[in-house]
Amino acid sequence: MLEFLLALLTTVTVGALLVPLLRVGARRTERLDSELAIYRDQLAEIERGRAAGAVPESEAAAARIEVERRILHAAEGASANATKTTAPADSSTLHRILPPALALLLPLLALGVYLNVGRPGLPAAPFGARPVVDLPAPGEPMTAERLVAQARARLAGRPNDPDALSALGEALVLEADGTVTQPAIDAFNKALAQRPDDARALYYLGLHEAQSGDSPAAIARWRDLEAKSPPDAPWLPMLRAEIARVSKAAGLPAPGGMPQPTREQQEALQSLPPAERQQAIRSMVEGLDAKLKDNPADRAGWLRLANAWRVLGENARAADAYAKADALGPLDAKTLTDWAESHVRQLAPGAAPPAAAVAVLERLEKAEPRNALALFYLGAASFAAGDKPAAVRRWKTLLALLPADAPIRPMLEERIKAAE
Amino acid sequence: MRRTLFILPLLTLALMAGFFAWSLLAGRDPASIGSVLVGRPAPRLEVAALRDGEPPLTDALLRTGKPAIVNFFASWCTPCLAEHPLFTRLATREEATIIGVAWKNKPVEALAWLKRLGDPYKFAGADLDGRAGLDWGLSGVPETYLVDGQGIVRRHFRGPITERDVNETIIPFLRGAK
Repeated sequence: MLEFLLALLTTVTVGALLVPLLRVGARRTERLDSELAIYRDQLAEIERGRAAGAVPESEAAAARIEVERRILHAAEGASANATKTTAPADSSTLHRILPPALALLLPLLALGVYLNVGRPGLPAAPFGARPVVDLPAPGEPMTAERLVAQARARLAGRPNDPDALSALGEALVLEADGTVTQPAIDAFNKALAQRPDDARALYYLGLHEAQSGDSPAAIARWRDLEAKSPPDAPWLPMLRAEIARVSKAAGLPAPGGMPQPTREQQEALQSLPPAERQQAIRSMVEGLDAKLKDNPADRAGWLRLANAWRVLGENARAADAYAKADALGPLDAKTLTDWAESHVRQLAPGAAPPAAAVAVLERLEKAEPRNALALFYLGAASFAAGDKPAAVRRWKTLLALLPADAPIRPMLEERIKAAE
Repeated sequence: MRRTLFILPLLTLALMAGFFAWSLLAGRDPASIGSVLVGRPAPRLEVAALRDGEPPLTDALLRTGKPAIVNFFASWCTPCLAEHPLFTRLATREEATIIGVAWKNKPVEALAWLKRLGDPYKFAGADLDGRAGLDWGLSGVPETYLVDGQGIVRRHFRGPITERDVNETIIPFLRGAK
C-alpha cells in the first residue's frame, strides 16, 4: 500500500514537471492569438465606452490608434519570431532535446554518484537481525556486568592478587563505558601496591588522569610505562596511539609516525585486555592486507598498510606494501624514507643492503641528496661492492651534515678510515 | 524588469552563502546562548537531599564565604559521564565544595550511578521535577555554575566542562577566591 502511494506520488510529480517541459514549443505559436484576443477586447471596450458616452470621441480615437499600433507591433514581433524559429531553430531543437536528455542524464548522474559513493554490495541490516556490537568477543555474549562479576569472584579467593585487582578495575571501566571511575581507581591503586609495575593499572591510572583534566601527568605516566615496557610488549602500539591521541587533544607536542585508528576503533580497542588488543590491531592490519589483495589499485590503502606494518615492526611486509604503492604512483621523499627504513631495518648490524634496498635508497638519494639514511647505507653498499671512493664520498658528506656530538660519528669516522 | 527578477534567487543564494561564510569564519559560537546569571546572586537553591538521611540543600550552602561549584547532572546523561572524572579530581585534589543536583533523575538511579562512578559531591540534591533547574535557567544537563563565597554566580558552563575549563578557569577561580 505504501509502495503504491509512493509510486503514485512520484508519477504525479514527474507528470507535473513533464507537462510544461513538453508544451513549451507549442505555446509560442498560441501567443499571437491570445494577444490579438486581448486587443480585440480592448477595441470593443473602447467602442462600448464611446457609444455610452463615457469616453469623449477624441480620447476614444487616440486609444483606438494606440491599440492598433500595438496590434501592428505584436504582428511584427510574431513574424520576426516565426522567421527566427524557422531559420536558427536552435531554441526549438533545445526544447525537443531537453526532456529526453534530462531523462537520460539525471539517472546516469545518479548512478555515477552512487557507484562512487555508495556500496551496492553491502548486505541489508534489518533492525532485528543486527548483532549487538557491545563487545567483539565472538561466540558468547560477554557483558560488562558479567566481567565485573567474574573479576569479583576471582578476587574473593585472593583479595590481594594484583592481576585480579587490575582485571576488576578494567571491568569497572568497561562497565562505565570507558570512564575510569573511583572504584576502578581504588582497585588499580591496590593492584599497584602489590605490584608497582602492573602495566594495566598504570595504563588506566594514566587514562584517569587524562580524563580528569591532567593530560601532562597522564602522558608522563604513560611515557614512563612505555620506557619500562619490554620492546615486544603487546600493549605498546595501543599505548603509543593513546599518548598521541591525548597529547593531540591537550595540544601538547605529539610524537609522530603513529597510525591513527578512528575514535570508534580506539574505543573498541580500549575495552580489550592488552593481549587481545594487540591481536585486534594485527587482525585489523591483516584485514586491510586482505582487502588490498582484492583491490590492488588502491594506492592510499597500500601506503596505509605499509605504514601499519612498519609500526608493527613487520619490515619485510612493509617494504612489500611500499613497492605495491610505488607501482601505482610516484612516492614523495618522506615515504621513500619510510620505505628505505623498512628495508634497512631488516639488515643485520654491519651488513650491506641488498639490491632491492639499494634501488630504493638510490631513489631517495636522488630526491633528497642530503638524506642521512640514504648516504649511510648507500655508502655501505658502495663499500661492499668495492667502490671505495664512492663510499668515502657519501660518508664524508654525511659526516659534514652530522652535529658535532652525534653518537654515530666515531663509528662513521672509523669506517671512512677503513675505506680510505 | 522581468529579467532582473531572475537575479533574485541568485542574490538570495549569495546572501545566504555570505552569511554562512561569516558564521563559519568569524569564530562565532552558535551554541553559546550566554547566561543572565553571571554577576548576580545565585538563584534559590531548595532541593531535597539525594542521599538518605541528609538535610535538604539550602541557600546557606552558597554563602559560606567559600566558593562552591554547582553541577546539575543526571545518570541518563552521557556528557555527564565524560565530565565526571574532572569533578572527581576537583573534589580530591582541590578539595572543592561541589554541590551536585540530580536533574529529572530518579534518586535510586542517580545514587546507583554515583556508586558506580564515585561520588565527588559534598552535597547532593534531587531535583526530580526540574523546578530548581527552571530557577537556575537550565537548558539541559550537564551545566555547571561557579558561585563565590558571597553567593554571586561567577561563571556558567552550559554543557560538559573540559580539561581546559578546569585548568584555565575553575582551578584559578577556586584558588583565587580563597
